[in-house]
Order: sequence, then structure tokens, then C-alpha cells
Amino acid sequence: MTNSIHGIEKSNCIFVIGSNTTANHPLISRRIMRAKEKGARLIVADPRGIQLSRFADVAIRHRLGSDTALLNGMMHIIIENGWQSSAYIRERTEGYEEFAASVKMATPEFTADATGVDVEDLYQMARLYGTSKAASLLYAMGITQHTTGVDNVKSCCNLAMLCGNVGIPGGGVNPLRGQNNVQGACDMGGLPNVFTGYQPVADEKMREKFSKAWNCTLSNIPGQTITDMIPAILDGKLKALYVIGENPKLSDPDWNHLNRALKELKFLVVQDLFLSETAQVADVVFAASSLAEKEGTFTNTERRCMKFEQAVEPLANTLPDWKILSQLSTAMGYPMHYANPSEIFDELAALTPSYGGMSYARLGLDGLQWPCPDAAHPGTVYMHKESFSRGKGKFHAISYQPPAEKPDETYPYFLTTGRMFAHFHTGTMTRTSPHLDIEQRDGYVEINPEDAAALQVKEGDMLTIISRRGELDVPARLTSVVNPGTLFLPIHFGESAANILTSSEAFDPLAKIPEYKVSAVNVYKSKPPPERV
Amino acid sequence: MKKKVKKWLEDGSVDVFLGYKMVHGHPLPHCFTLEDVAEVDELIVSEARYSLEKIATHLTRQDPKIKIGLLARDCNQRAINILSVWHQLDLEKIKTLNVNCCPSNLKAHPDCSYMTVETPGAYKQQVGIDNTIDTETADAFSKEAKTIRWMYEFQKCIKCYGCRNICPVCFCTECSLEHKDLIGPGNLPPQVPIFHLVRAAHMAGRCIDCGLCEDACPMDIPLRLLYRKVNRIVKDVFDYDTGESSEQSPFSLIGDSVKLTLKPM
Amino acid sequence: MKCTFVPSVCSYCGTGCGLLFETIDGRINSTIPMKTHPVSQGKLCIKGWNLHEHINSPMRLKQPMVKTFGRFINASWEEAIQITADRFKEIIVEHGPDSVGVLVSAKMSNEENYLAQKLARAVFGTNNVDHCARL
Repeated sequence: MTNSIHGIEKSNCIFVIGSNTTANHPLISRRIMRAKEKGARLIVADPRGIQLSRFADVAIRHRLGSDTALLNGMMHIIIENGWQSSAYIRERTEGYEEFAASVKMATPEFTADATGVDVEDLYQMARLYGTSKAASLLYAMGITQHTTGVDNVKSCCNLAMLCGNVGIPGGGVNPLRGQNNVQGACDMGGLPNVFTGYQPVADEKMREKFSKAWNCTLSNIPGQTITDMIPAILDGKLKALYVIGENPKLSDPDWNHLNRALKELKFLVVQDLFLSETAQVADVVFAASSLAEKEGTFTNTERRCMKFEQAVEPLANTLPDWKILSQLSTAMGYPMHYANPSEIFDELAALTPSYGGMSYARLGLDGLQWPCPDAAHPGTVYMHKESFSRGKGKFHAISYQPPAEKPDETYPYFLTTGRMFAHFHTGTMTRTSPHLDIEQRDGYVEINPEDAAALQVKEGDMLTIISRRGELDVPARLTSVVNPGTLFLPIHFGESAANILTSSEAFDPLAKIPEYKVSAVNVYKSKPPPERV
Repeated sequence: MKKKVKKWLEDGSVDVFLGYKMVHGHPLPHCFTLEDVAEVDELIVSEARYSLEKIATHLTRQDPKIKIGLLARDCNQRAINILSVWHQLDLEKIKTLNVNCCPSNLKAHPDCSYMTVETPGAYKQQVGIDNTIDTETADAFSKEAKTIRWMYEFQKCIKCYGCRNICPVCFCTECSLEHKDLIGPGNLPPQVPIFHLVRAAHMAGRCIDCGLCEDACPMDIPLRLLYRKVNRIVKDVFDYDTGESSEQSPFSLIGDSVKLTLKPM
Repeated sequence: MKCTFVPSVCSYCGTGCGLLFETIDGRINSTIPMKTHPVSQGKLCIKGWNLHEHINSPMRLKQPMVKTFGRFINASWEEAIQITADRFKEIIVEHGPDSVGVLVSAKMSNEENYLAQKLARAVFGTNNVDHCARL
């Protein structure tokens, strides 16, 4: 997030796109509702009729995968009406002319055709966002999990810059991160091309710095992303995988493809709290201690690095991840002897400029928001105040690309995937919680009552869903939350794993993010199992 | 105050004392013991309210013989009373150190001072229910307005169960809110208005108007007002003062026909 | 009886709500929202309120395990770590450092993520480090 969670309440207009906030970031939806109740305008764009839509000034259900078309269409109307922030564009951005020319083609008629959104609604969305100063844009995986994920994000940035909404309180481009420490994992160099703090591995100076600090030589070849690793296994290039606290068997696209790959591995190590679907096929399983059994820091979606304390002793013979990693490293001939996580934090803070001013003593219970470069720096509530990280904000001319798969005769339905409120990701943690399990015990697929009627399906009947990759059976939930012709499948349930249906080949060429949000499928009422005599 | 707590711990009149301690600028609940009696010097009266009496029930469940001391405002006292009436706490094993509450800007109970009341936003006042109004004002809306306004509030619910979880007087092992025949699971918002009305019905003769539920509600639903209204009915019909009376409420849902059991002591 | 209230941060979504683990005699009894937390202001969602349940789950792994002839056998940490270190070393010698990949975790702490990528880069010698940010 360029801005902060509490800052949402200061906004005059909130545009939520591709985020079912009340289900997936409930305490952020609180801020949205509070802003709304104070008088802010609310725009919700989501292919499903989500809870927030009920409270929106304009709520639209655009066609799956048509986000860039929608955003371009909004920007077209904003420019046509002169609602853009010309002084901001002049002083703080570049590339406007080329961008504006590209948006010219996105006429309301073209946009309505591509997105299925009414021209009048388009106009209202553009007017509300374009004419409210301090408008905040919030998005989540509904924007990013597409073959055009990067284009979608760039389009969000274009819109925010066009109206001068980046670098002001109550504004911003605010991706809502889905995992508690996904921000931290990125900040800490859990990416193939960068060290901590996004310092590139290909940069000679950075390599030198880390090489000196770690007393070793370092590779200058950027590594492979998770989406590249799986084919690399099948090509015989990747032989061993060390998976920590993840369950790719449910979270990675294309279950069949991944399963074949995991079998090809010479060696698979999984470190987890539970014997997850992935851990079951591992050669070695490391039993890790949970959050409450160790201390450390997490960095949330608003870049706030926060301390968590140890509440209880590690369960049975489990070890905290940092101890496992240190012991493995030592056994590999590179001794790591840290007395506690605080020592590790000091080491990483010294190597990471944006965390440079942080220490356990300073974090307290409120934490600090990066960038926090020195011990006197109070942390950064909202970013890009005076200038962007790269100097001037760059507009990108983006043209609309449809998703990789569209419904056709054989696969006439759209399938989209996501989370529901009571469960989390692959369900490893939530499905073992009694109170969450009660709330939603089994998987389900949302289907519009119209489609259900045509298929003669009642609530709870088993449906068979087929894609080009595979098929699965799952009970139907009849709801007009989804449009006719669209199905929604939550990702938490191993017995109806969404990635049996999704594709490993459709991903964003740059970000390598799979297109979980759009697949073409067919659906029919499952044949009842043969009766036993 | 500190002297008294130390004395209680030292002379064995209590085994533990539940109060507050400042941690990095945050008042957090703290369980003071004889082993760390020096810590009592850090005892504070917190502006933030936690349900210490609910924690006392947790401790009692672990060890029914334990003697517990705790800081208590008027609302805590009422909760303790209810918990004792329903056999969740034994008053003989509870010692309270009464904390004076400043005058409140909320009406009716001038004792929940520290709940800062903010004026709800213009839009909420227009379409929803202002959290600061009293039951009479809420009653004055027309029937249609009442329905629309309350439905607006209920539709915001994100089903966190925070109102129940934080409630000092909610202790049933099985909760009607999770009974799938009453409320269908797995949907957001939960069935409007059934979810909130089921809970409201259970609050009749039970709610001690501490306001912790509203405090814990991510969506600022005026729960306190709702339960106050229910208790007003209990008072009018049965002349029962919830939290003050020394008997169980005449209006109890816990009967033979309902599959709800009290938690064993 | 020992009862503590230990500040922590919710480990589900990226919001970062503040909470307290209520522990009684070394076991977490409940999760309580931290009233004064700057992000969550004393509120939690259904997942946050039940955070302790996955920690207390009887399904938790309790010791390291090594697969031998297709079945998991309980191992000591020394064994499990040594076997893993030896296998990684063999594979790196035979196929080069880039034949190994590490998936770090958006569930681990900053300190642990830092160590995991340090392990991959400084010890394994590869930049094949990624996590589920994309998923």
C-alpha cells in the first residue's frame, strides 16, 4: 500500500476493484465502511456481487478479465471531461501524451462492449473517482491473478496518477496483501531477482555488499520464479526443492502438472505446521513451531513492521523456523549461530536501507512503517509525498487484452476462484480450527439460480466441473452473487481443489502470476453414484 | 490500591489478581501473582477495558478452587453478579477492587466512562442507526424507517462473532449462532436479521450493558442499543433488573426443548 | 496458576491485526483482540478470533520425519538435518547450485525469511528463491 490502513478513513472516494474486502481483509473493510459513513463515495467493481457492493454509490459487475478495459474506459471519460489533475501530471509524471493517446480509443461504447458495463455506470464511476480529491484505490488478487496482471496494476497506477491521487493522505494505490507476511517475505529478498529491500542480485555493487556481509561469493544470475520452477523440474533442470510453510499442491496452478513435477524431484523437503498435501509427498518433513511459540516480526500490507512475542513453549519436538534454517546451514558447512531473532533482525536491518532505522527496542507494539532509514526516522505513513521512487511517475500506455481463455462451445462457462470469509488459502490452518470448520465444512461452487434451473440442480446437488486440465465434483450453492454463465470456486478445499481446473500455462509474462481468476469450464449435474445392492 | 493487592496476595486472600500493566505504551491485562509480587508496583487502572471477569471464568474452569482478585468497574460488578447467578463464578472466591468510573458521555449508565463516543458520520445518521442515541429516540422512528435503518446496520455484519466472543456473560458450550438449523453457515452477511435477533433474544435478562460488544464490532453496529432495548422489555414485563437482581432471569431460553447446556463449573 | 496475555500479530491475511494470546499454564486458552492496536483497534475477524485453534490443533506435526521406503519414520533433528544437508550437497555437486530451489514463506517472520534466502544464496549458491506472493 502506498498509503496506510487508517488513512482510508480520510478518503473522500474509495474505489475497490478485485477485492472482496469484507471476506478477505475484514478489518480493512471496516475502514472503508467508516469512510463511507462519514460521507465518502464508494465505487465497487467486481465480477461478483460482493457484500461491499450493497453499500456502494456505484457497484458494477464487469466481465471477468476486463479490468484494463474498464480502467481505460474510466480514464477516457475523465480526460474527455477535463477531470484530470493537470498540474500534478505536469509536475510529477511523464509519458502522459502517449498514454492519453492510447486511452482515446477506449470510448464508452468500446468499454461497455468489452466489460459488459452500462455506459451510464461507467460515467458515474469516472465522475466520482475523477472529481473527488483524495480518492483511494484498493485492489487485491482480482486485479493481479490474470495474464494481464501487470497491465492491470499499471492501469490502476495510471488512474491514480491521472487524478493526482498518489502521494497524498487519503489517496494512493493500495494493494491488499493476502498473507500476513507476504510484504515481509518480499522485503526480505524472498524473490529470485533481489536481495533484501529490493536490491538487485544483478547489481555488482549490491552483490559486493552482501558478499562481504555474508562472507561468500554470490551468483549474479537471477533465479526462477515458482511458476518457472515447476516446468524446470519437468525439464530435468531443477532436482531438489525446499518448501517452507507453503502448500503448492493446492496453491499452484494446474494440479496434474505439479503432481507430475513433484514426482520427478530427486529430493523434496517440506517445513510446515501440518502434514499438508505437499508435505505428504516429501522426502523429509521438518516440524515447525507456530507463531505463538517464537518471537519475530511481520510486515503488514501497509509496510508496518510489527513485533510478535513468544506466548508458549514450542510444541513437542518442533523447532522455530529460524532454528531449523540455522541448523541446516551449519550442517551444510556454513555456520549460523544466532542467539535469538533480535540478532537476525539487527543483521538484516543493517543490510536493508528501508529497515535501517528499526530495532526490536524501537518497534514496541505499534511497529514502524518502512521506509525507516535511520534511528531518528519516524517511519513513513504514506509514500511518494514529494516524488516517486524513480523520480517522475511514469504513465504506461496499456491496451486491453482479453484473458487467455474465454467460454466457447465446449467450455461455455466462466470459472473464477477466490477465498471465502471463514477460511484461509489452502485451509491448512483454518480447516483444523473447530470454529472455522463449523462455519464452512466442505467445498462448494457458486452457481447462478438461472443456470442451476437450466441444469435442474438444487442447492447441495453435486456438480461436475470440467476444464481443459481436469475435472472435479463439488456441491452447488445457488446464489445470484455470481452472474449467469459464471461459477465461483473457493480455493480452500483439497477435496475440490480449484487448481485441478486452472491452467499452469496462462500467466502474466512479467510477474509470472497465474490466471486464477479466469478459466473456461463446462458444468453438469453429477451422475449419482451407482446404488449398492 | 497497590498496597491492598500486595496484601491480598501475601495473606492468601487471593491466589491471583487480574489488573492491567502498561506495555510499550499499551495498557494490557495482566495476571499478578505472589511469585512476582514486585510487579504489583506496575498495576494500573486501564482506560482500555478487557473483560477481566471472563478471564476469571477461564481460570475457574481450570481450577475451581482458585481465589481470584480483580479490578472491577460497575459493569464488571454486574457481569460478576450474572456469572455468579448462572454458576460460572463463586462469589466467595472472587474479591473485587472497585474502580471509580468517571461520569460518562453515554446516557443511562454513567459508568462506562472510558468508551469514547464519537459522533457517527453523516451518512450513517441518514441511513443507519446513530450509536449514541437512547432507546426512546430509536423507538421514535417510523416502522418503515426502523426496518430500513436496522437492516442497513445488520447487512454490514462480517460474522466475526466478536460480539459473542468478547461478551463477559456468554458462556454456553453450544451457541445458537452456530446452530445450522437457526442460522445457515458460510454466508456474508449472516442471515439478516435472524443472526442479530437470535443473539439479541439470548441477551434478554443477560446483557449487563458493558458495551464491550459494540467496542469489538468491526462494523460499528449499535449492538448496545439493541440489547438495551431487549432488556427494557425484560424490565417492563418481568420487572427484572439484569445484572442487579440476585436471581436468574425469568426469561431464560435455556430449557428442556433447547439443546443448550450450561458449561460445568 | 500462571496466566499471561502475550501480544502477537494475526498470521492470516495481510492486514496485521493486533491480538493477545491468553495462556493458562503454558497452553493458549483464547485469542483476545488488542484494544489499543493502531491497525485493528480492538476488533478481529472470525479467523483472527480463532487464531489459537490451529496452534492447539491435535493435527500439528510433532517431530521431524524422514521417508524411508515410502513411509514416514520419526527422526531426531540431528538425523533429519544431516540427511537433508547431505542430499542437498550431493545434488549441488552433481547438478550445480541452480538445480536447487527454495520456496520461502509469506507465513514466516522477516527474520526467518531473511535466513531462508541467505541459506539459498550464500549456502546453496542459487537465486532460485520465491514464495507464494503470486498465488
